Amino acid sequence: MATLTEVPVRAARAGTPPPRRRAGRTLRRLPVRILVGLLVVAELYPLVWLVLGSFKTQDEFFSKPTWALPESFNLDNYTEAWAAGGLGRNVLNSVLVTVPALAFMIVLGVAAAFALEVMVWKGRGTVLLTFVAGIMIPGQMILVPLFTVYFQAGLTNTLWPLIITYTVMGLPLTVFLMAAYLRAIPREIFESAAVDGAGMLRGFVSIAVPMMRNAIVTVALVEFFSVWNDLLIALTFTTRDELATVQVGLLQFSDEYGSTQYGPLFAAISINVLGILVLYLFLNRQIMAGLAAGSVKG
Amino acid sequence: MSVAKTGRRGWAVRVTAATGAALLLAGCASDGGSGSGGSAPDKFSLLTPAENAIIRDELTTLSKNQCATAEEALPLSSETVAQSDVVQKITLLASQDALPVMFVAGTAQVKPNGDLGKGKLIADYEQTLKDLGVWDDILPAAASTVKSAYGSMASLPFQYNIEGIFYNKKLFADNGVQPPQTWDELVRAAEKFKAAGVVPITEAGSQGWPITRLIGMYIFRSLGPDAMLAIQKGEAKLTDPRYVAAAKAVADLGAAGLFGEGITSRTTDAANAQFLNGQAAMTYNGSWFLANLNDPQQNKVGAENVGFIPFPTVSGGQGNSGQWPANAGAATALATRSYTPKVGDWLKCVAENYGSSVLQNQGVISGFRTNQQVSNVPPLTSQLQEIVSKASETVLWFEALMDAKTTSDAQTNAALLLTGKMTADKYMATLQADLDQAR
Amino acid sequence: MQSVLGDKKAILILLGPALLVYTLVKLVPVFWSLGLTFYTGNPLSGFEFIGLDNFSRFAEDPQARSALWFTLKYALVLSAGQIVLGYALALLYVFVLRRASTFVRTVVFFPTVLPTVAVALLFNSLFATGQQDGPVNSGLEAAGLSAVDWFSTGTGTFVVAILMELWRSMGFYAVLLYAGLVDIPEETLESARLEGATGWRLVRHVVLPLSLPVLLSSVIFSVNNTLKVFDTLLALNNGGPGGETTPLTLYMYRTVFNYADYGYGSTIAFVLTVMCLLVTLAVFRSARRDITRA
Repeated sequence: MATLTEVPVRAARAGTPPPRRRAGRTLRRLPVRILVGLLVVAELYPLVWLVLGSFKTQDEFFSKPTWALPESFNLDNYTEAWAAGGLGRNVLNSVLVTVPALAFMIVLGVAAAFALEVMVWKGRGTVLLTFVAGIMIPGQMILVPLFTVYFQAGLTNTLWPLIITYTVMGLPLTVFLMAAYLRAIPREIFESAAVDGAGMLRGFVSIAVPMMRNAIVTVALVEFFSVWNDLLIALTFTTRDELATVQVGLLQFSDEYGSTQYGPLFAAISINVLGILVLYLFLNRQIMAGLAAGSVKG
Repeated sequence: MSVAKTGRRGWAVRVTAATGAALLLAGCASDGGSGSGGSAPDKFSLLTPAENAIIRDELTTLSKNQCATAEEALPLSSETVAQSDVVQKITLLASQDALPVMFVAGTAQVKPNGDLGKGKLIADYEQTLKDLGVWDDILPAAASTVKSAYGSMASLPFQYNIEGIFYNKKLFADNGVQPPQTWDELVRAAEKFKAAGVVPITEAGSQGWPITRLIGMYIFRSLGPDAMLAIQKGEAKLTDPRYVAAAKAVADLGAAGLFGEGITSRTTDAANAQFLNGQAAMTYNGSWFLANLNDPQQNKVGAENVGFIPFPTVSGGQGNSGQWPANAGAATALATRSYTPKVGDWLKCVAENYGSSVLQNQGVISGFRTNQQVSNVPPLTSQLQEIVSKASETVLWFEALMDAKTTSDAQTNAALLLTGKMTADKYMATLQADLDQAR
Repeated sequence: MQSVLGDKKAILILLGPALLVYTLVKLVPVFWSLGLTFYTGNPLSGFEFIGLDNFSRFAEDPQARSALWFTLKYALVLSAGQIVLGYALALLYVFVLRRASTFVRTVVFFPTVLPTVAVALLFNSLFATGQQDGPVNSGLEAAGLSAVDWFSTGTGTFVVAILMELWRSMGFYAVLLYAGLVDIPEETLESARLEGATGWRLVRHVVLPLSLPVLLSSVIFSVNNTLKVFDTLLALNNGGPGGETTPLTLYMYRTVFNYADYGYGSTIAFVLTVMCLLVTLAVFRSARRDITRA
């Protein structure tokens, strides 16, 4: 445990790792390689399955095995999903909800974590615990009161109920994780900065935030997926088609007797997933770059 | 009156609930009376299940054609709600005094003793349509179905479905089987198909309700059309031997493998596909299945090879096969307080035109009279339409008169019944316990 | 020094907004719901005060008891699996694949981003039986075993649900834990190696203690998520067959949103919250103690 605090923020991870013993590795590597190969296949197969499914007709879903190739590659399902399903509108709504919610969550959460973890004051443990307790409360528990309040405030029929609810639902985890990351940064850094004349607020903005950049991206990524994939809250607070998010929109492909248009549904999911994948790959580079520079908590 | 009462009681709860949370209490202090007030609606707001586009599509079509005048005075505004979310959303909207003009609601909610019915929040369509002089546009059979399901004319029959057994004529001929008239014949026929490697009866077991439909129909055939009413009134119990026998009969079909492999996880589409591809000999289904049957792309068997028979009789039973099981779609209620002459214009136009319009445009059978000539109706659809217009007596479905929890348990436990994990006695006892709890 | 770190104004500016929003939108509704546990009814029918009846009903309700039991079983098995597999993957990334791990890490993380609906559809088709055997049953039959109707039994559905969630979330926990492992200084590891610690011993005596804080965070996160499992089981088999894979959240959801009994629903949610609280407090306490001891 001691090492964690003893090792201060290292300027940068050494450019080249110290040589590790390589002799005899090649042979030992083989089973690992096979294992990793299997892992990659198992994780990627569904993507292939999903995309193939998006080209199949309803009939093919039930008359051919699930791993069969589609009979033809035409874009009918995609046009259907985009036009009839209103997918474009749904994607836009999801973006309009997710981006502000993440921004609020991060700004509020990081600031609060700093005040709770770095600053010293009476009762901070209790407040931190109160935030952390929020992780435990099932979302279903607060929906009913919230609906009433949003209604009274005239916010229904806008996207605000979603933005506000997601922000608050994500806040506990953001505070908790950020506090954990901040714990690794020695307080002396902020103290010396403050002594130099910069106030604690300056210290937060110009020292803590840059140091936390990669932790922020990581937390934002985690929160992004939970917000983007949420169905429960979106269902409760959206009444109009124009406000439906992607997950709510996916319901449109089923009818009330339980029948589903699988082709267009798969097409809609494929568009959704590929979009997220691009975003993830993009952000992933950011995280990798950050980690390589070794600027996260030492 | 009762709205105000609810509001005041709600207040008390909140005071208890949020002790010390003065901030929020200040925020919701206006609860219970404000809302949109008693003002007339400026839109014909319609809330329908997201999963069912029939009503909103047809009303939209009407708003551009026959109902253009009504549309101009009070424009149609359509909202949707996920089916699983209906009860919750209506509860919340109603408690905020914000119900749309016309809206889908939970079956239990619209009944006279339900949350909406009790508060007189929803209109009686019979009175309203009589005042408008268009009550004759509702088919009598449909009106009787709505009234027996919901206790009053709380819904319009935007869809009117009858149910029965669709069978594959070719498979029946190939295996030398006659369409069954009694339950025993049905079981014998199914065994013959099973021996021949055909799925005898396919149902969407994952949905639950196709299975409970069979139990309910067995009860109606065995104990007569009022059998479930007797349960509701407490005159009989589901644990009575003749009721249990119905669950046992369906469980036995499952135990004998007469639904084919994987029945409990079979989806609606999988079940439909089994029948449409000619892999299954029979399926108990409703007239909504016509949309699939009439589509040559889906129906590999050919519409001409599909027959339709009523649910068979049970030997020594008090019911007969002329009592068709029927339903009128999800309850679509009208908010009393939003009713204005402009809404009346809409209703009048819908009553006069919806029946023929929806049959023509979407091939859907409704409980409205078809006032205009409809062309190109497929033969199978006409056959069912004929049954609908001639039906003199209809029965409901197993869960029609049950509360929401009993309904849910009936449907979810159906899988356990079929696989033998739950005995027929236990199944019915669980449901009776639910009914007792609700009472 | 203390005065700088105890700057009241800075604390207020930094913490104030978050605390205010959090209190208004989370804490107050929670207490509001808590108050409902003493009532029966819903906002439309009105509420009736019934004291502790909801709690005695919970104690006697066989469905609630089976949901409680199932929730605990699910959380225990899945959390253990998530942490063990996630940690194993993280070790693989850091010590075996090292710099080449980016691709594998990305790929294994990928299922996390999939919507639950899609994942449930996938596993339904993988484990399908009947006319359309899925790959799993085809495989079983090819191996001379008989096909299993996975979704017709509670145990079968449970097994599929656990596999599905592990498949989906292990990459996520791997990344979470990776962030802790990658920061262990190379010098520390090298000196441990020079002292003769290799392989398992290196992991057990050097790596594990050093990554304990991140590990504990992951455990808290995992347990709280698995205790609150909702859409996975709903989408996979609708909490069935019967109620055999219905967790407390789903039972609560149905009670409130389908049966319109807000009071009893709040009671179920309350029991769940208390469970989460106890588990987290236990883990959190031990984590805190470790930090301060260091």
